[in-house]
Amino acid sequence: MAIQIVMDRTGDRHHPFDPSDLQEVAKAEQRFYELTNAGFTAAVRTGPGQISQIRSFDPTADETLFFPRLIGG
Amino acid sequence: MFGFRPAASHVRSRMRAARMLFIRHGAERTPEGRSLLLLRRWLSPAQQEQLATKGYFEVVGSESGKRYRIYAGTSVNVCEIDERGRVQDGLCFMPIGALPIGDVMLAQKIALETCETNARAVARRFTPSTFQFRQARPLA
Repeated sequence: MAIQIVMDRTGDRHHPFDPSDLQEVAKAEQRFYELTNAGFTAAVRTGPGQISQIRSFDPTADETLFFPRLIGG
Repeated sequence: MFGFRPAASHVRSRMRAARMLFIRHGAERTPEGRSLLLLRRWLSPAQQEQLATKGYFEVVGSESGKRYRIYAGTSVNVCEIDERGRVQDGLCFMPIGALPIGDVMLAQKIALETCETNARAVARRFTPSTFQFRQARPLA
């Protein structure tokens, strides 16, 4: 199972999906673009503690994390 | 017959495991607890060690190669550090939406490690005080 994790004020919402199920992948892809179009940043882990930002949906990523737009404090 | 005897080591270790399980279960039920678990999973082993022992962890900026220290906190908690590890400028930035502490620190790490220029562009500068950061406590 792959998972999309979306940060919010309740901690984080988890959206697991099966990468071999086309319907679930399509839903995950839709969620990806809805979130990134709303200003969320998407990131995946590429190694222990190593992270890279992604700008297009990657159905092979085990775990994709989304966090909201950054602002100055 | 009813005297107390020191618990055997296997009993103590079972009690410790049960206590850890209880703490972990409790932590997973709060936004802050869940966010800290997520943060630890996404840190490198060295960063996990720093956070547990020093109350902060360090990251390297994706473009400049500068080192930053992210202290436990949700604002006014990021500082640039020099080659000797001394605190320099402070950067205050965070994701919108009043996120719990672990999520804020993780977003700050990802931002500096993958899009440093953007993070610096939105950040408000502040002058860190030594006192402010001496208060950092380990997040075990």
